[in-house]
Amino acid sequence: MDAERWQRIQRIFNVALSLSDAEDRESYLREACDGDGELEAEIAAMLDEDSRPDSLLDQGVEQVAGSMLGASAPPPGTRIGHYSVKRLLGEGGMGVVCLAEREDIGGTVAIKLLRDAWLSPTRQRRFQTEQRALAQLNHPGIAHLYDADTLQDGTPWFAMEYVQGITLTDYCRKHNCSIERRVNLFRQACDAVRFAHAHAIIHRDIKPSNILVTDDGSVKLLDFGIAKQLDALDGSSGKTRTVLRMMTPAYAAPEQLVGDEIGVQADVYSLGVVLYELLTDRLPFDLSNLSPLEASSVLHGDAPVKPSEHGTASAGRAQWADLDVLCLKAMHADRARRYSSVEALIRDVDHYLGSEPLEARPDRLAYRVGKFLHRHWQVASVLAAAVLVGAVLSVFFTIRLSAALDSAVAEASRTKRVQQFMTNLFQGGDALAGPREDIRVIEMLERGAETVETLASDPPVQAELLHNLASIYQQLGKLGAADALYAQSLERRRDYFGEESAEVAESLVAIGILRIDQARLEDGEALVRDGLVLAESLLAPEHPTVIAASLALGQTLRERGAHDEAIAILAQTVERQAATGNASMDQAAALSELAKAHYAAGHYDDSASIYRDVLQRHRAIVGNAHPLVAGDIASLAAIEQDLGYYDKAEMLAREALAINERYYGVESPHTADNLTSLGRALLYQQKYEEANEALERALAVQESAVGPSHPLVAEAVNELGNILAMQDRFAEAAANFQRSADIYRNVHGDRHYFVAIALSNVAYMQMKQGDYDQAEALFRPVIRQFTDALGADNVNTGIARIKLGRTLRLAGRYADAEIESFAGYEILAAQASPSISFLRAARDDLVLIYEATGQTEKAAGFRQEIAALDNDATH
Amino acid sequence: MQLENNNDRPSLDDLFSAIYEELRRLAFVVRRNEYAVTLNPTALVNEAWLKLADSPALTFESPLHFKRIAARAMRQLLVDAARRRLATKRGGGADVQWVTLDESVHQLAVSEIELIALDEALDELAAAEPRQAEMIECRFFAGQSVAETAELLGVSEATLARDWRSAKAWLAQSMRQTG
Repeated sequence: MDAERWQRIQRIFNVALSLSDAEDRESYLREACDGDGELEAEIAAMLDEDSRPDSLLDQGVEQVAGSMLGASAPPPGTRIGHYSVKRLLGEGGMGVVCLAEREDIGGTVAIKLLRDAWLSPTRQRRFQTEQRALAQLNHPGIAHLYDADTLQDGTPWFAMEYVQGITLTDYCRKHNCSIERRVNLFRQACDAVRFAHAHAIIHRDIKPSNILVTDDGSVKLLDFGIAKQLDALDGSSGKTRTVLRMMTPAYAAPEQLVGDEIGVQADVYSLGVVLYELLTDRLPFDLSNLSPLEASSVLHGDAPVKPSEHGTASAGRAQWADLDVLCLKAMHADRARRYSSVEALIRDVDHYLGSEPLEARPDRLAYRVGKFLHRHWQVASVLAAAVLVGAVLSVFFTIRLSAALDSAVAEASRTKRVQQFMTNLFQGGDALAGPREDIRVIEMLERGAETVETLASDPPVQAELLHNLASIYQQLGKLGAADALYAQSLERRRDYFGEESAEVAESLVAIGILRIDQARLEDGEALVRDGLVLAESLLAPEHPTVIAASLALGQTLRERGAHDEAIAILAQTVERQAATGNASMDQAAALSELAKAHYAAGHYDDSASIYRDVLQRHRAIVGNAHPLVAGDIASLAAIEQDLGYYDKAEMLAREALAINERYYGVESPHTADNLTSLGRALLYQQKYEEANEALERALAVQESAVGPSHPLVAEAVNELGNILAMQDRFAEAAANFQRSADIYRNVHGDRHYFVAIALSNVAYMQMKQGDYDQAEALFRPVIRQFTDALGADNVNTGIARIKLGRTLRLAGRYADAEIESFAGYEILAAQASPSISFLRAARDDLVLIYEATGQTEKAAGFRQEIAALDNDATH
Repeated sequence: MQLENNNDRPSLDDLFSAIYEELRRLAFVVRRNEYAVTLNPTALVNEAWLKLADSPALTFESPLHFKRIAARAMRQLLVDAARRRLATKRGGGADVQWVTLDESVHQLAVSEIELIALDEALDELAAAEPRQAEMIECRFFAGQSVAETAELLGVSEATLARDWRSAKAWLAQSMRQTG
């Protein structure tokens, strides 16, 4: 039919319609069609149809949809693989789920079939994603996958564990569960989500109807239909695209609603809403009838009504206060202010269940005392209040912080020591778990330490608390305070347990590690050795204390440059650990130490091959997209960087960055670390702009993650300063170093040696700009500061004096320069590896100074030393 | 059918699967006969589109543009489904016989042949007057109101009402011939 003919048909049809008399119509039609019989018949048929009611087009699409896409399911008795269908369990957008029985060996399963699989690759992919997720996730809280295949007509299916239960919310209502029980069930759900995250799978659709509780009260997480495999090769360069699915917005995180990239925090948010609903029997917001964008702006508006304000179940006021904090922190609209991971959420749930202070809770005295009373009311009632307050502080800080100082922090601290032994920029700091409000923490710790004094009647507990307090101070960089407390703890342990005890061994090792932090390597090594010998004499070689002591000795040796010895002891430790045949994570940690030692020794090949082994182990345990894996890749990047393969380093750094971005989201301290290494790799390829961009991004991320005056920001600023310095942009570099000095001063106080390190960098930049007077004016107080804080023989003091020596030499003041350079040389030569750059610089300076002042013999001596070292290096 | 970003097959695919899932939900509601009390089906479809339209993964010139594409997608999807069903019914050699769960639904149901005939007739209409074929897609497959469809196609409501009547009558007679 062409357009002209259709025009004609319509014209005649419309005129005919206007004629009400049937005969008129007929005669008009005949006349208008002018002998075209076909046309006449067609229009007559149209008029006929027009008079009928209920043509298909009047029915509405819903009827068509009902017919074409109607629920169809395999009838009972249908065979699917080894299974025989019993009945339909349910259907959803994705397909149908049937109950089926395994024919040969019995057993009931649920079979999920993807109806109309042909329709779109997206749906097939999602179906496969769910199948893969279930196959990967072997966890009691997640249905197991048994079998999967495709029917002849192309319908994919998989068989999974049949979960017989009711939804979490229904369960709680039906059983009228207490708050305690609800929180316990919630925790189970969290654990399943945590497990999925550990395998780099984000669920993305957590809601009560996807959380079932079985008759025996165990929780199962269902429906991984839109789960996101973080390492899925979807070619979308790390961007998690919005899933077009008509999910109810009630449980979706705001970033999910607007289609932003999402990370594990999206699941944290959904869990928060689930908890809210469990506690209050209602949703935090009414988002019905809102578009996703509208819903998102509601979520970013006022915080929801606190659960306590319409809590239905009974709980005390203090408990409600904690539940408010827990719930609202989990579902904070700003993802940076949410729990950063499900682990962190679980930790606080556990704190709640154990009546311990929440990590999310602001530190308030009354709160802590309240917690203590709740947990130990019997004990508390007989204790004098004055003692109580102090005891509470120390006990809970100890508990809280030691829980918080999880492996991430331990790892961070270890890595730091490797990275920058010379500058000792140790922060103790994973911002996620570490202390956020250092100053207040310190105040509390001080009061806590005072009160531990009063616990003299219980020496082992007192010693344990002192030990823990000390380790916290150490993590916070308060090495002097840590030292005093470790010493007290050791003294009490000696009195109580005797010299020959595992406790004393533990103290010795801890103090040894502290000495290493203080850059007193020799003392540290001696103490760690004593501790190790003692521990070995009392405990089995694979005992954790022995292993820990061995690892510490390995680190010590590595840091003082005794690489061969370090490698020997670490290799032995690795072997011992392998003999225990378990704890593959610990093994990987020990191997990492060994790899670091090889790295420090310059055995890049050995180091890289061990790191690759560790990487493989980690991948086997946690999958491809876990931060641990990113850490290993970042180490490999560092090796390539050192070997001068900057392009490879860049590639690896990007890989590590991508993993962490997917895991934590783009804005996390972890991604900032990766950006920093990426920046370094780019810098050495002279890609200055990209390098600066990466580092500035790192800085911005840190600033937004932890606030502008956090030590982590100082570190990023410092790095940016280093890079500017390498580009000879000394003034800008100096401004950055000054800023990190300001931050450290703000956080740690004027006299802390971190401030001195940063100021020393400022001074060095002034020297580089030829401003020798200003540099000297700054170096002198810095050296005094180091001497006061760390001692006259400390390596940092030595380094600063070497730098001052160079400044004075450049200024032509050879006599003054000689004093500083030589003093610095002596301090460092006694402690550090002869090949470190500062010693080389000191020797060079001294040669020049002696030559300029006619002390040719001395100059020759240093020349010889330099030649000997160069010779060494070539062999 | 043109999406804003050409060759963006995944987006189109996402759109299809989203509409499909929404239609299945709709079908489910219809089958349970609850739609009268919960949501009117057209509103449900509209709601789906609102959600989709706000999705940043798909970019469209305007909501109207989006709705036109969605209407076409809906048509294609239902017709594809009808063809598949028909093929299976005629002995597609499937190892599993899918059955309709509720026979009462089946009785008021639209037959596959009917829908396929509509699709073919629409193609023929489109050859003569593409705008009217689009009108059918919007009014029937997408359940848009007269006012909305008129705006969408840039015609007056009176014109639309007249076109609707003639197109409907013509399609119906054409389908009867095929059937």
